Amino acid sequence: MKGRFSWFNATSITFGFAFLYIPILLLVIFSFNESKLVTVWAGWSTKWYGSLLQNQGLKDAAWVTIRVALMSATVATVLGTLAAITLVRMGRFHGRTLFSGMIFAPLVMPDVITGLSLLLVFVALGFDRGFWTITIAHITFTMCYAAVVVQARLQDFDKSVEEAAMDLGATPVSTFFQVTLPIIAPSVISAWLLAFTLSLDDLVIASFTTGPGATTLPMKIYSQVRLGVTPEINAISTILIGIVTVGVLSAAFFTKRQTDRAERERRKAFGATG
Amino acid sequence: MVVATAPSQANAASSQRAGPRTAAPQTGFAPWKNPDLSPMVRFEGITKRFDDFVAVNNVTIDIYEKEFFALLGPSGCGKSTLLRMLAGFERPTEGRIIVAGQDITDMPPYERPVNMMFQSYALFPHMTVERNIGFGLKQEGMSKDKIEERVDEAMGMLELRQFAKRKPNQLSGGQQQRVALARAIAKKPRLVLLDEPLGALDKKLRQQAQFELMRIQETTGTTFIIVTHDQEEAMTVASRIAVMEKGLLQQVATPGDIYENPKTRYIAGFIGDVNVFEGTVSKVSEGCIEIDAADGYKFKTKSSESVTVGQKVGLALRPEKIRIGREKPNSDVNVIPGKVEDIGYLGSISHYHVRTAAGERITALRANAAHTVEQSITWEDAVWLDWPVDAGVVLTG
Repeated sequence: MKGRFSWFNATSITFGFAFLYIPILLLVIFSFNESKLVTVWAGWSTKWYGSLLQNQGLKDAAWVTIRVALMSATVATVLGTLAAITLVRMGRFHGRTLFSGMIFAPLVMPDVITGLSLLLVFVALGFDRGFWTITIAHITFTMCYAAVVVQARLQDFDKSVEEAAMDLGATPVSTFFQVTLPIIAPSVISAWLLAFTLSLDDLVIASFTTGPGATTLPMKIYSQVRLGVTPEINAISTILIGIVTVGVLSAAFFTKRQTDRAERERRKAFGATG
Repeated sequence: MVVATAPSQANAASSQRAGPRTAAPQTGFAPWKNPDLSPMVRFEGITKRFDDFVAVNNVTIDIYEKEFFALLGPSGCGKSTLLRMLAGFERPTEGRIIVAGQDITDMPPYERPVNMMFQSYALFPHMTVERNIGFGLKQEGMSKDKIEERVDEAMGMLELRQFAKRKPNQLSGGQQQRVALARAIAKKPRLVLLDEPLGALDKKLRQQAQFELMRIQETTGTTFIIVTHDQEEAMTVASRIAVMEKGLLQQVATPGDIYENPKTRYIAGFIGDVNVFEGTVSKVSEGCIEIDAADGYKFKTKSSESVTVGQKVGLALRPEKIRIGREKPNSDVNVIPGKVEDIGYLGSISHYHVRTAAGERITALRANAAHTVEQSITWEDAVWLDWPVDAGVVLTG
């Protein structure tokens, strides 16, 4: 990728990044604003982070969000991994295309439709809406992302490794836990982190499926913003951005380190033997 | 050491002819001739179809204890499928597989008394060499001390002790191959399957590894079944070879028999170099067949093949069995004149490519016994080719 430097490329990259990151940067900067007025700069301060700790409503919402994200990410990763294994391993069973299409359709489905349809289901089944319905809804929509991540890794997985395990006396279940899962573990962790961050910042689906007493952080922020943006909102948003960034970066880092180390060791081995 | 440096396929094959395998247990080892022995493995009318494609077509083979049995054939001939059915990864469409008297056709792979070494080695990338080799023993629920002892034994046998703590991707190809073999023999199975085990190694390493395989097979006294497309490899390691083509079993015989008495033109051509003269049977008499060839030349050969007068047959002759000389031999059969077209000088031997009057191109081998660079026969020389009556093989297929 040693393309020649050109003014056109430089300009488009600058504009692209500016468009993406200036709003976020502004939000982060204004979260450290001394002034109560969001749009007026009055010097540096961390007082809004301190006042966050006094805001019971925001703290409750954060706690709900984290519990929903932890639980839905875990279940979605398990289900997504199983779906990915079925898709890659079962070969050409009848209706395979339909099955894979149905798993990946929610990726492109508008959130509003996913949320509405889930709401209809919960109403029809007579579920009390609240914490559990949000969790179930988040499992549904993050599962397909988890499946995509794991499936990509499974595609270049040497099937004979599993055959070797079975040949040596491991049952299919024990083969999965002793061989398959450890090998695909980095992608499963990436899938979990992705599902976790997706659940963390979902607003639309959570709004549809929530009930009394279960308000997630994005919902709380949204409803407060309607009454006017306060510096407190900027502060909590900055924290959210931080968590999501750490999640995404560590997912990428985990995969990268794995491949780097394998590559380095391979080179070392071949260097040593000539 | 026999001729191992010459690149010709015939050389490794002819080294085999010099005598039975050097290793002691193989001398006079021929359980397939003993009618009282029951086979260790029996493929009974095995057919495998993938949709419309017939990968293996009604194959029946008996393999005996302590044999080193080779399944040989070009890629896609069904040899790997046969092995995978024995390991339990494929189910035969028809037929039964019997191992040590037990029908294992419907048994899952993890219950079968066989272990396999994979072409890709299939090592567990997240485990050290030690844990890779001990994996099978762990599944048996063996105690930790006992596993350690057995793993150490297997590592010692394959000179792997120094790599015990390494992961597979820290090993070279040859080392990985030895780990894969150690893992396959660690459980001391009665039957070890090898699927193109040396396919990824370069030529020099491969020859070493072949002798290592033979050594391991002999010291452990295990039955080995190897799948290979390399006829030299099969000739070197195997006690018997099954040649397959397009899902059909062509011939099962010892390497010597396959080389000296090929049943068909396909086998004659697949294993080593061969010259085939076409002709018509003119006379069949006690153990001898006479053949009329082109231009009025007559061939006579010892054969028990059942043929009838007038039948079109081929006469296969290995290059090293044809004598080449300037003078006309004092015989009226098995003599044919020609002209030297080409000489391939390989140091220890020379290949002479001779064009006969009928236009056939014949290869004859001659050992360069005299200590001289001068060749007594050279390009464009008119020469006579001749061979004894027991040199040729009559091919009907």
